[in-house]
Amino acid sequence: MAPEKIDQNRDHGPDSPEDSTTTDKFVFPKWVNLLREGTAVAAIGGLVYVVVLITGVFSPEMSAMGYAPVQPVPYSHALHAGDLGIDCRYCHTAVETTAKATLPPTATCMNCHATIKTESEKLAVVRESAETGRPIPWVRIHDLPDFVYFNHAGHIQSGVGCVSCHGQINRMTVVEQAKPLTMGWCLDCHRDPDPNLRPMDLVTDMTWTPDGDPAVLGAQLRAEHNINPSTDCTTCHR
Amino acid sequence: MPRPILYVLLVVVAASLVPMGLVYKARHSRKTHPRIQVVYDMDNQYKSKTQTENAFFADGMAMRHSPDGTVAQGQLEADDALYRGQVAGDTLFVETFPVEVTSEMMYRGQERFNIYCAPCHGASGDGNGLVNVRAAALAEGTWTPPTDLRGQTVIDRPVGHIYNTIKNGIRNMPAYGPQIPVSDRWAIVAYVRALQLSRNASIEDVPAEVRASLQK
Repeated sequence: MAPEKIDQNRDHGPDSPEDSTTTDKFVFPKWVNLLREGTAVAAIGGLVYVVVLITGVFSPEMSAMGYAPVQPVPYSHALHAGDLGIDCRYCHTAVETTAKATLPPTATCMNCHATIKTESEKLAVVRESAETGRPIPWVRIHDLPDFVYFNHAGHIQSGVGCVSCHGQINRMTVVEQAKPLTMGWCLDCHRDPDPNLRPMDLVTDMTWTPDGDPAVLGAQLRAEHNINPSTDCTTCHR
Repeated sequence: MPRPILYVLLVVVAASLVPMGLVYKARHSRKTHPRIQVVYDMDNQYKSKTQTENAFFADGMAMRHSPDGTVAQGQLEADDALYRGQVAGDTLFVETFPVEVTSEMMYRGQERFNIYCAPCHGASGDGNGLVNVRAAALAEGTWTPPTDLRGQTVIDRPVGHIYNTIKNGIRNMPAYGPQIPVSDRWAIVAYVRALQLSRNASIEDVPAEVRASLQK
């Protein structure tokens, strides 16, 4: 603590009028020494804090996952696809052959609802749409940027199950985005698709899991169907 | 260290945990509002894509139907038997398939039947699918139970009639033409015929080598 004493003398200086009156001389308390270490800890800690906070705020889990907007019709996938066991493709007819899964036209709803729950308040918007010919204003949930050209048919025909990207829709009363759908997330699978491949006839099965290691079966299916996902920019961006 | 300073520091540290907590909560909860985009990049471009809105048209749809009375190239559908299940130039339904019935087509028919028909008609075609079960339980009085596809009525119908029923609907059954393409309709007809056969089959119809697996 010797240097401290020298500092004190210098601070007040030999010319200081208080020099002689040592009793009321101001002495920095010992804890002030903590300021140096404290400042370092605060600076590093603050930086980590800001980085963690920004990463958290701008992560897909924060921004997109769990997005479950209020829809114009309280349609429940848990009832239709879950309890009633209706296949995804009953409504999303174009998913196997085109880029888009396509939302069903109101006519598809009316296949059943022309004779079931015909007076239901919840279906008023559906009946109105059927009468006027104006589409039901569904709110889009899984919305990739407009410069991404995702193709449903290519994935379905390669044996990537609906559940891999959309989660357990058959249990969702209100559909929410279950996966990040970020470019990095897409690339993870394009680089190693094996764990997400399944037999073609089980693509819409929401509850199927392979008996053994999914990667083993996946590797086998991949070789069998010659599946080589591209990681080229132009695969998704054009 | 003086107490007040210590307290202030503790309060600051405690307060810094609040934004962290909010972020954690937001990450693990449902959101009804869309994500906030600080930088838009070119995420949302002023162009019409499949099934998007366009206020320019009265019905609000960006996608347009072909004008009435026009036929796109390759979509003339001139073959009465194939496209309408009818004898050419007549209203009679065809008795034979206008397409070749193969094993591959039969499996396709099974898959398509299970997607589009089984919800009401049941996987076995008995007319008691899960939708029928629920509709019957609701007992609203507006629901007509689906036909048992393995019954004599449907067995007696020409294949063209079953095809026409899939395409245009019949009585309370709506038209499935918009959902099921032509080749799949015929595949389903073939599978319905297979269901009818299986319903009325005896153990003698089963190949001898697999017969044991059915008898337990």
